[in-house]
Amino acid sequence: MAITVGVLALQGAFFEHVQLLKKAAEQAQPSEWHFIEVRTPQELATCDGLVLPGGESTTMSLVAARSNLLEPLREFVKVDRKPTWGTCAGLILLAESANKTKKGGQELIGGLDVRVNRNHFGRQTESFQGPLDLPFLGQDAPPFPAVFIRAPIVEKILPHHEGIQAEEIQQEDVVVAPSREARDSVAQAATAEHVEVLATLVGPAAQHATEGRDVNPDQEVGDIVAVRQGNVFGTSFHPELTGDARIHAWWLREVQAAVLRREKLKQ
Amino acid sequence: MAAPNGTTGNDFTVKAGLAQMLKGGVIMDVVNAEQARIAEEAGAAAVMALERVPADIRVEGGVARMSDPSMIKEIMEAVTIPVMAKARIGHFVECQILEAIGVDYIDESEVLTPADDVYHVTKHGYKVPFVCGCRNLGEALRRISEGAAMIRTKGEAGTGDVVEAVKHMRTVNAQISRARGILLASQDAEPELRAFAREIEAPYELVRQAAELGRLPVVNFAAGGVATPADAALMMQLGCDGVFVGSGIFKSGDAKKRARAIVQAVTHYKDPKVLAEVSQGLGEAMVGINVKQMPEADKLAGRGW
Repeated sequence: MAITVGVLALQGAFFEHVQLLKKAAEQAQPSEWHFIEVRTPQELATCDGLVLPGGESTTMSLVAARSNLLEPLREFVKVDRKPTWGTCAGLILLAESANKTKKGGQELIGGLDVRVNRNHFGRQTESFQGPLDLPFLGQDAPPFPAVFIRAPIVEKILPHHEGIQAEEIQQEDVVVAPSREARDSVAQAATAEHVEVLATLVGPAAQHATEGRDVNPDQEVGDIVAVRQGNVFGTSFHPELTGDARIHAWWLREVQAAVLRREKLKQ
Repeated sequence: MAAPNGTTGNDFTVKAGLAQMLKGGVIMDVVNAEQARIAEEAGAAAVMALERVPADIRVEGGVARMSDPSMIKEIMEAVTIPVMAKARIGHFVECQILEAIGVDYIDESEVLTPADDVYHVTKHGYKVPFVCGCRNLGEALRRISEGAAMIRTKGEAGTGDVVEAVKHMRTVNAQISRARGILLASQDAEPELRAFAREIEAPYELVRQAAELGRLPVVNFAAGGVATPADAALMMQLGCDGVFVGSGIFKSGDAKKRARAIVQAVTHYKDPKVLAEVSQGLGEAMVGINVKQMPEADKLAGRGW
């Protein structure tokens, strides 16, 4: 089976993702994998799965809009519900709601019923790397070397409902993605009501507390740094900056399974 | 990208990582919050906060120093994208101050008047990452060995003449090709690579790393003289990872439009149709100074070594 995975190449660390996807593809047999950089709607149309890389989310959404790619991206993620993974800036774009955006807000693609808090840990001097337990890679998997750069976190899981996140619009300084309906039963089948929390980071909250900073009680459970809802996956850290291809290999297997399910339903 | 010698892997990954997030982007010089907002709306991946753009430093002369921290902080308040600021070459106290303010990147820059004519800042110990200019591979690798996590061409800032940036990028590329050629030509390339490292006055380990990668071991942007979308795309096609635009935007006729056009040009640098479209009707470019006709003493690229 031939599967094409695109990496959105408007701005950011797209090259790094392509490199690590190629490495991961060796572990995700037996499909024949093609990896391409996506800058146009025509390139996007050839993709079975898509990665939104790290970079500057404001830049990416502005360039996407001016390159006539914003609506095709929403179609890909929300109307067709094809497998999509966003890292850091990519996670922000895939959120239905985001705060601390630039003045005048920014466009979101949406797809994950979550609210992200941009630059959660602060500026660059607060960026860090640390070991992170990722149970979805296997219970005994060694920790993943997670790199957080001016990273966002998921600060709230939102209830799933038809249409736009109406309660979120009422919030101050929050931007919300426009609603799009799943195209057909095939896309419907790839939709999930429930947002799964795949990883949390307990360290920083505890560390901040010992430094005498204010910590919200609900943060004590840890900052949410990886989520999945149906075919949409988001991480607030950067696996593409490491040589560790485990998450990429796991995600390619997810893409493979999703493509097989689609094929079956279409018959 | 792997950590060069003498740095702890963790910290360097995080420092060089922010530069990787800026790839394919444009970093714009801004002198106040209003310009910073225009840059952000245009799609800049980061801004460089400074009191005078290079073109004005040239005209006004005098000693160019680090900007007033209150002005840098205003810009940090105004935008959500990363904010960089410049320190004088060798002025490690200006660097300490910029780190204390919390800027996201420090540019140890030849555009400001050097504070030390022997030493560059030792950059490993800072939590904030550094970008430095270069004219050739040796200079780039010396800066990386001092701890720089990002490199840019020096070009000739404030001229609007791209010729020096092109020369610096081509020189880096040619020297990396030469190192790679040496590496691939023999089973035991070490002696000859060491001789080449000595010739360009760079640490052997970093020369070897560049030879193995076929590129600099950190992100490399174009800077110094980029004035049009075509200039930006030219530098990208020569292999730069992104582009700094200094005086080129806010010294031109229609800053908003030109800023947006350069951002589009850096994303679609391989697509001449898009480049043609965004190059239309931009109004006047900055006036520019022909570098060939400039007195040597006026050139900034010779600062640093």
